[in-house]
This record gives sequence, C-alpha cells and structure tokens, in this order.
Amino acid sequence: MKTSLLELVEQRDRLTEETGKYYGVHELTLKENDPVKYERFYSRLHATMVAAYEVSRYVTASPGAREMGEVLWGLLTPEGDALAISAGFFSHINSGKYAIRFMAEHHYDQNPGIRDGDVFVTDDGESGGAPHPGDTYTYVPIMVGDELVAWAMGINHIMEAGAPIAGSWPGFAVDTFMDGFVVPPIKTGENLRQFTWWEQMWLRRTRAGTLNNLDDKMRLAGCAMIHREIHKIISEFGLDYYKRAIREIIEESRQMITDNVRRTMVPGRYDGAAFRAVKYKGLQSIWEHADKDQIISIRQRLVVNGDGTIDAYHDGSSHWDYHAWNGYPGGADVAFYLSMINNFAYNTKPTSAVSWVMKTHYPKHSIYNPGVNVASFSNIWAQSMALNSIGFNSVNRGRFAIGYLEESFQAEGDWEGIQGAGVLPDGTPYGVTNFENVGGTAMGAFCFRDGQPIAWAEWTQLANIGNAEEFEYLIPATFYLGRKLLPDFFGHGKYRGGPGQAILHWVVRPGELYLSRGGAGVAYCTFVAQGMSGAYPAPANFHISARGTNIYDLISAGKPVPRDGIELIQMAEEGTLKVDQLDIWRYDMPPIRLQDGDLVATCNGSSGGWGDPIERDPNLVLDDVCQGWLQPDTAKKVYGVVLEKTNEGWTIDQELTTVLRKSIYKKRLDDSVPFEEFWEEERNLLLTHNIIEPVRYMYTHTVSEIYDFDKEVKEFWQLPEDFSW
Amino acid sequence: MEITKEIISNLLDGRLADSDVEQLQRMHEKDADRFWKYLEVLQERVQWNDKILLRLTDHLYIVRNGNGARVVKCDCGHEFGDYRVNWKIASRVRVRRTAEEFKEVYTPDQAIPEPGWMTIREYFCPGCAAQLAVEVVPPGYPPIFDLLPDLDRLYRELGRPLEDESEDWFRDRTMDVVANFRR
Repeated sequence: MKTSLLELVEQRDRLTEETGKYYGVHELTLKENDPVKYERFYSRLHATMVAAYEVSRYVTASPGAREMGEVLWGLLTPEGDALAISAGFFSHINSGKYAIRFMAEHHYDQNPGIRDGDVFVTDDGESGGAPHPGDTYTYVPIMVGDELVAWAMGINHIMEAGAPIAGSWPGFAVDTFMDGFVVPPIKTGENLRQFTWWEQMWLRRTRAGTLNNLDDKMRLAGCAMIHREIHKIISEFGLDYYKRAIREIIEESRQMITDNVRRTMVPGRYDGAAFRAVKYKGLQSIWEHADKDQIISIRQRLVVNGDGTIDAYHDGSSHWDYHAWNGYPGGADVAFYLSMINNFAYNTKPTSAVSWVMKTHYPKHSIYNPGVNVASFSNIWAQSMALNSIGFNSVNRGRFAIGYLEESFQAEGDWEGIQGAGVLPDGTPYGVTNFENVGGTAMGAFCFRDGQPIAWAEWTQLANIGNAEEFEYLIPATFYLGRKLLPDFFGHGKYRGGPGQAILHWVVRPGELYLSRGGAGVAYCTFVAQGMSGAYPAPANFHISARGTNIYDLISAGKPVPRDGIELIQMAEEGTLKVDQLDIWRYDMPPIRLQDGDLVATCNGSSGGWGDPIERDPNLVLDDVCQGWLQPDTAKKVYGVVLEKTNEGWTIDQELTTVLRKSIYKKRLDDSVPFEEFWEEERNLLLTHNIIEPVRYMYTHTVSEIYDFDKEVKEFWQLPEDFSW
Repeated sequence: MEITKEIISNLLDGRLADSDVEQLQRMHEKDADRFWKYLEVLQERVQWNDKILLRLTDHLYIVRNGNGARVVKCDCGHEFGDYRVNWKIASRVRVRRTAEEFKEVYTPDQAIPEPGWMTIREYFCPGCAAQLAVEVVPPGYPPIFDLLPDLDRLYRELGRPLEDESEDWFRDRTMDVVANFRR
C-alpha cells in the first residue's frame, strides 16, 4: 500500500481532532460547486448498498438474514468510517472503526498484506468491535493501484455461534473461551473468494454450519457487488473526486447532526438507569468464580453540551464479571448509537458522523470496557439494549421539555430469542436460533397517545417478525400453537405502553432437543428503571416450559389448547391440560431437555406507558377491555375505572369510577411518606445490611472514572466513611 | 406546515389526528420557534401566574416564582424548591417491596419484578397526589435525577438570555439538601 493503514487512521484522527471538522473538511466545496453531481455521486453509492441488500439475501442466506433483515452492508472510508449503508440494523455503522483500527495497529497491511478483493472476517468484541459473536462481519478492501480507497462491509446476525450453550446469544458463559467460534479480524479469502478451509471452520465449529456458510457467502456476495460498483463509480467520477467526496459526505452529515442536537434538545444533564438479573448460583459446580447471582447495574449520564455535542458517561455501571453479559467498547457503541442515529441523523445521509458528535465514555474495567480480553461477550445485547433505551429516553425527555411532543415517547426494546441444539431422529445434529422476536417489539406510549404492539425494533428500520412457517420448516421440531399479543402485558399509564407478544411452541418428535433463552430483559428486574411522567415502565420478559403434557390427547379429542403462556398456566392450574413439570422462568431459562409433546412459551417485547394511570380517559380503558388488551380487574385496580357487564357488553359506571379515583388519590397520600422519612427507612436498611446478596454485590462492583458513583451513593444515604456493603 | 398553538394544544390533549402527528414526525427540520409557542400554550393552561421557564414532566415545571427564584412547581401550585435539587427528594414516596404490592400495579402476575431484588417507588405530589414518577430500582439505589437542564445555555442559544444568567445555575445541589437530613 502507498500509505500504511496506521498512517491513514492517525491522519484521520489528527485532522478531525485538530479542526473539529471531519477530516479537516472546512468547506463542502464539491457540494457547493456542483450539488447535482455531488448528490448523484452519493445516490450511486447508496443505491449500491441497497442493491447489495436486496440481491445477496436471495442469492444465499439463512432465514434470520432473509426474513427479518438482520443484516447491513456499508461502504467505509479507508479508515473504517461508514459513508453509505443499506437498510438493516444500522447501528453497526460504527463497528468498522474498531476493526480497521485493530488491523492498522497490528500492521495487517504489511502482514498478511491488504490487496484488492481480499476477504477479512471478524466477530470478536475487543478487536473487531462486534457486540457479540452472533454478529459477524465481512470486510473487503477496495484498491485502486496500490492505494486503499474503501472497504465494503457486510454484517449479519448468524444462526449459531458454536458456544457451549447453543444459539447465538448464550445465556451462560464464564469467560470468552466459552463464547464459541470467535475470530479477530482474520484474512479468510482473496479475489472475492473465501479460502476453502474457511467454510470448514463454520461447519466444524458451529452447530448450524450450513446456515452460517450461507450467511458468510451472502455477506461476501453483497461486498462483491459493492466492490464492482465502487470501481465503476471511481472510473466514472475520477479518483480525485471520489477521495474528496467521501470526506464531504461525512462532514455534511456531522454538521446536520450537530444542528439537530442544538435545535431539538435542552442542554443539560440526563441520568438513566437499568438493571438485569444474573441467575448463575447453583447452575454448575466447576467454575466457582461464576457461581453467584447478581444484579448488573447500567448507569448513564448523558450530557448535552450547548455546542451540539453529547457526552455519554457510564460511571456507576457494573464491573465486568464472569458471566455472558459483558461487552467491549465497540459492541457497546453499536447499542448506544441506535438511539442517537434514530434521533439525530434522521434528515441526513447515514454515516459514521454520529460518532464524532456523540462521544461515549466507558469506565475501564466496566461491563462495557473490561480492560482485559478474557471477558465473555456472548450476550451483551441482553443488557446493552437497555443501555440504548435509557439514552433514547433521555433524548425523549429533552424533546418533551422543549416542545417536540411528537417525538416524545417511552423507548424500550426488550427483545427475545429462543435458541438451542439437537439431534434429529435420523441422527442429524443441528443448532438453532429463533429470531422472530428480535424482529419487532412494542413501541412505548407517546405523551399524547398509546403505544403500539410489534410496531418497531430500535435496531432496524424494518420491524418484521417474519413468517411463522419459515421458522417451522427451518428450525426443527418446534411448531406454533399460538402467536399473539398478551393482554395486560404493558406498562400502565395515562397512555399505556404497547402490549407485548406471546408465542407458544409445541415440540413435535424432536429426537434429542435442548432449548434455552437468550433475550434481553427478565421479569426479575424491570428492563428500564424509569417510567415517564408517572407511568410504569414495561414489565419484562418471562417464559414457561411445560414438560410431560397431554397435548396430543387434547388435539385428538378436538378440545381447546392454549395459545400463550398465560393460557397454558391457567389450563394447567384448572387441570384441563396435564403437565408433569411446569416451570415459570422469570429469569433466563437455562438449556432444558425437551421431549415430544412438551410446550415452551415466550412472553416478551412489551413497552412502557406515559403519564399517571389515574388520569387515563375511562373511555380508553373501556376500549382496551373491549378489545381484549386489558382485564376488567386491572382496569379497576390500576386505572380506577369501574366497569359493568351488561347484555350489550361492558359499560363504564361513571359514578363509581369517580368515587374510586378519589379514593385512590387519598390512598396515595395515606400510604406514602415524605421523602425524608423514606430516606430514613432506606438508610436503615443499608446500615443494618438488610439487603440480599445480589444487591449487595451490585453496590460493591460499580465502576467509575469521571465521577465517583459509589461515593455519591454513600454520601446520599449519609453512610459512615468506613461503611462496607 | 405551520405549527400553530392550536396544533400544540391538540397534541397536549391527545386530540391531534394520527395523520397530522405523522406529518410533524416527518418534518425535515423542526420548527425553530416551537419552544416559545409551547411555553405560551402551557402558560395559558396553568392556574397560577409564575412564569414558566421549562416543562419537566406532565405536571412539573421550572418557573420563576414571586420571589424571583427558579423553582420546580406542580400545575396544582405546589412548589418543590430549587430546580437544581432533584425534586423527588421533596415529594411523597410510596415504596412497594412485596409481591402482593407489586401485583397491584404490574401485570400479568408472572411479570412482576422480584421482591428483594427490586422495589417500585412511586413519587407523588404533596399538593394534589398526582403520580409524578415511577422508579423500579434495587433497594438502596439513590433516586434518579432525570433531568438537570442548563437553562441559561438553552435560553442563550435560542436568542433570549435569562437576565440572571450565571454558571452557578447548572450545578446539582441535591446533596446540599440531603446533607441536612438527620440534623
């Protein structure tokens, strides 16, 4: 290469930091001199990305990639900044910075060398910027002569990662050596073809080798299309134009994002928190250091500066630990920038510029920046989506304060995944990840209307839970008895959250099958801690397994069968469905053996409300009851609305509703205490160590760098200087 | 699309048609004067005369009160105090700790937080008992100061600096108040 990769990266950093403009671009000269040519140039780049997306998924792909679009293609600068992307899960727009920097710092341009059409792959957190090993990247360098001018990038969420716990989000891992098939950026091919040994790696080190190879070829097919088109575009526009334009595109984007922050946010400090349960105590006896329950604490302070930049501090977050839920800075960034891109890059070209406007600060040794390379990152997504959500809600609070009410809602993205491995009756081994509940979750309430079910997925523009039939024929042995919304399953408020969804799977002649759960929140700990303006945040996910059932008898006799987890529990309690072993998993379901006739239910993806539930229009409550979203008992106890059932259906008892709501207001004052009194009570809890071990452990394992969270906690409760948790 | 005070009012009341909401959401650039119109609409709706400087939640505002101080005030008229202090420490609190208490406000039963691991805190206005905030946090977690605005910076950026501008206005003073608890 004419210039070393490290020199390119260092030059980009220096020019940007010294000038405050991306790559030192002070003026958008190409855009201003000939805007038509400039926009035509950009359109060609963008069209290439979209074409890669639309075509390669039908050349070869797993159902996760094809059905739900858990994919992204991008065109990167030589230093790894994205300047054009396809549709898909767009927050991976910034991962290239980490992978390319790693390659630069380790002199890949010298050994093994970087040549036009080479193929590099990574799914590592520290070196590749991957959130988890399920997110796999392909990078293809594009050279003109001996000059590196671009990278084509393809990323998708693969079907199985080859870890001890099957799936792509293992819920148990002690360290990175249990993360599965993890590779730092590694050269896997040349001339747009993979080396033959690379295909064998997926086949021999993962449980879904065929599907993973389909995805690997899909990513490369998309990159090959990009590679071909970029060469054409450079020939058409000229190399000099190309090299200048790619800088202006990102600088243009940076300027607009900065303007959007300044115009739509209230400068100041926004604090957010989220929590996640780790239920590892008693799961195994080999790794003593992983044999504990704990709460992961996620803490974020978003500081919106008056100049349009944002700093995100994560002091007070948990120290990394021996569990599956750590991440590395690149992967944490993938989560964090979801909300930032959604909110501030909506009217500009999607580029890596967002990372120059918002800066993340992850304390060293925290769960987002372990400072060691052995921390497991199998399922960072289980808690980093909460990280994204609290950032999103900070922005939403700012929008509400300044008056852009149409942008003010409760953001939560409590996704769900079921995964596992098995051997078919004919002896064929397989691994599975069911993505459907990654494809969509409920959207939270706005400050002026209710939330909606399965309406969005924070991580992609294309909320789509896919066709049930696709999963039935490609994921062996589990069929659908139900796929529906779950009544009462949302955060209550003046405007309620969107209901979460419920799926009931039926295990049919599985051979040998183990399933586990790999989603985000768990009922033990509410996913996002703060409700909006007095509403409740969303209830988190839970699961039910029913082993040893008489489902076949019910079907043969034409009797009703359950359609979701709650109906399953009710039928089991009534005795209409016989269940030998019923488990309600309010934390991650570990791998369980499933046999013919067993049932597995997921309940997930709900969202929070907005405003005081007592202020909800009784007519809206009535509508919800009539539509089946709300139980009449809930209408009464939470919303203070008394409904009567008549021959014509439900009606509101206006008089009793008024009386009940007044009594609820009175009960609030009767049941509550002045804050100082509560403070005394809570302080005493701490002084007498009257908290359970997972909570105590959480407080002893927060990490801070910029401001001392632990000190703040102790000062807040006026704990003695020598206090130990 | 001109954003009138009537549109803002309809948004506040949840009466704006979905198609109009979508039009607002799809604006290429937000209307720059929204904040001022918003303040006017809000001011017309409250029963008191203190000047609203910023809205924090459905019920809470930062206002300049009769003494010229910048305080958090509920629309019912109750004052919480200096906006640089987390208003939650001047509210009434109901804390739920048991499964039975959780089930009163969280549904379905299987989705409640785990007692001992988490508590549910409900913050009420001492004046009108409106529920102002909810936190689902472990026992012993300090109340979260959701938003400490840099008011002076906001007003300066919008071209109407506040007359008593000072760097001291963007400082968390919660601990100043808490330090006086138990004394």
